[in-house]
Amino acid sequence: MHRYLCFPAILAGFLMAVGCYAATDQQPTLTTEDDLGPQVQQPIEFPHYRHAGNRNTVDLTNSDPTKGGMEINCQYCHTYARRSLTAGIPPLQKCVGCHQNIPSVRDKPRIVELFKYWDAKKAIPWKKVHDLPDFVRFNHERHIKRFIEQQGRPVQEVCGYCHGQVKEMTTARRQKPITMGWCVSCHMKEHVVVVANKDGIPEGGTPLGKQAYWYTFQKPAETKNAAGELTAKGPNDCWLCHK
Amino acid sequence: MSVTNLLDNWAAVRHFHPIDDKPHDPYKWAMAIDLDACIGCNACAVACYAENNLPVVGREKFKHGQVMHWMRIERYWEEDGRDFPDQGFQFLPMMCQQCEAAPCETVCPVGATNHTQDGLNSQIYNRCIGSRYCSANCPFKVRYFNWYDYPTTENVWPAEMNYQLNPDVTVRGKGVMEKCTFCVQRLRAAEVTAKGEGRIVREGEVQTACQQSCPTGAISFGNLVDPESRVHKQWQAQQVDLDKDAQEKNQKEGGTDLRGYRILEELRSYPSVMYLERVRESAV
Repeated sequence: MHRYLCFPAILAGFLMAVGCYAATDQQPTLTTEDDLGPQVQQPIEFPHYRHAGNRNTVDLTNSDPTKGGMEINCQYCHTYARRSLTAGIPPLQKCVGCHQNIPSVRDKPRIVELFKYWDAKKAIPWKKVHDLPDFVRFNHERHIKRFIEQQGRPVQEVCGYCHGQVKEMTTARRQKPITMGWCVSCHMKEHVVVVANKDGIPEGGTPLGKQAYWYTFQKPAETKNAAGELTAKGPNDCWLCHK
Repeated sequence: MSVTNLLDNWAAVRHFHPIDDKPHDPYKWAMAIDLDACIGCNACAVACYAENNLPVVGREKFKHGQVMHWMRIERYWEEDGRDFPDQGFQFLPMMCQQCEAAPCETVCPVGATNHTQDGLNSQIYNRCIGSRYCSANCPFKVRYFNWYDYPTTENVWPAEMNYQLNPDVTVRGKGVMEKCTFCVQRLRAAEVTAKGEGRIVREGEVQTACQQSCPTGAISFGNLVDPESRVHKQWQAQQVDLDKDAQEKNQKEGGTDLRGYRILEELRSYPSVMYLERVRESAV
């Protein structure tokens, strides 16, 4: 081949290969794989497993801290999640509010540390673990409303969609990728939608009523899956998170 | 987005709002500005600076046309032979018109500006690469480019002033385009609250910063789809339709009651802002 034709030929071949690859590329699938983030050193090694972990069914007194948790609702401490964008870190008062009434663990090193901050009247300088870029505004409230209030799913399961198995950790560590592609992989999925009953009350699902569109800011296209159930995609509006 | 998806769903990717098969529902944010009520006080522009973290660039950069006012008051002088103090002029508050077929959207090489489902023309700062093509194609010239890194190097918010910045709005860095958003942070907050309560946003529940600060109430803003909203009533009364480039107005011979118009309507960008013509002889 003439040497001047060689490069264009290679280029054309390359473009065709890329084109073929892109043409067969399918819709993104739901990404659920784990992607462990860095271990963040916290001022106090807070044991999430002890607070939120499952109860020890054998030892009913739950005395062994390595074996059982208290099954405290995530939202008891991260109380802003259901009413604001951020989940929030509990104030020191919340920790002390319980722990001043739990004398049995008062001499444990972490609790001693906790009360040092309390006596010094200083907030604990917790470090951010799930730190999104400044141009991303994830809304906790929306997701809590959708999954916990409307669909009645268990709290720990719902929080775990993005935060992983925090109830088995000491201090939290990022388990999911929390990238835009990862978020979108869920929003691009056709989720089953449950229509409200005659009184407009959601029957454990998401109403597609006359006025309330839980998915997008426009009435979603009502598509049906193979089982005949009504499905809709999540919002895909850039200005929902970036603004 | 794969090529297959792009080709199969071209209509959805470049969907022109509103069209008959997919009208705006339940939201279409729109505005009406009464030029007869506008006194040119610039309160709207100041409110916009405060709400949207706009940098105050100073005299030199203003001269170079690098001013960042998303909302500006334009002045139009009347060419009737009179000199300055007596010469009549009128004010025209100008901001992004949130066009339904926005010229800026089609030319963005990276898709940083696109249309939202509630009829806004969105600008995604973190996707913008600063080609400035959108600004070149905007007939209203309401897009502003960050030539400088205002948050840090230019020191427009010296220490402690940064505490007055609105946390709901990104502080834009160097090299991105920005423009009026119809205070999207307020809209989204109201929409999300309404959604949680299973209703749509009520009339008066959400205001833009400029509307809120206007002392004469010249600016009305709301949901054009909602028949109860003031904006909807005004558009109806003035016989201005969103999807018409030449309004079929019921005009009378030798004068009309109808004052509503949209700027550069004939360009078919279908703006979401309706202006009401001035009736007074002069603005001042």
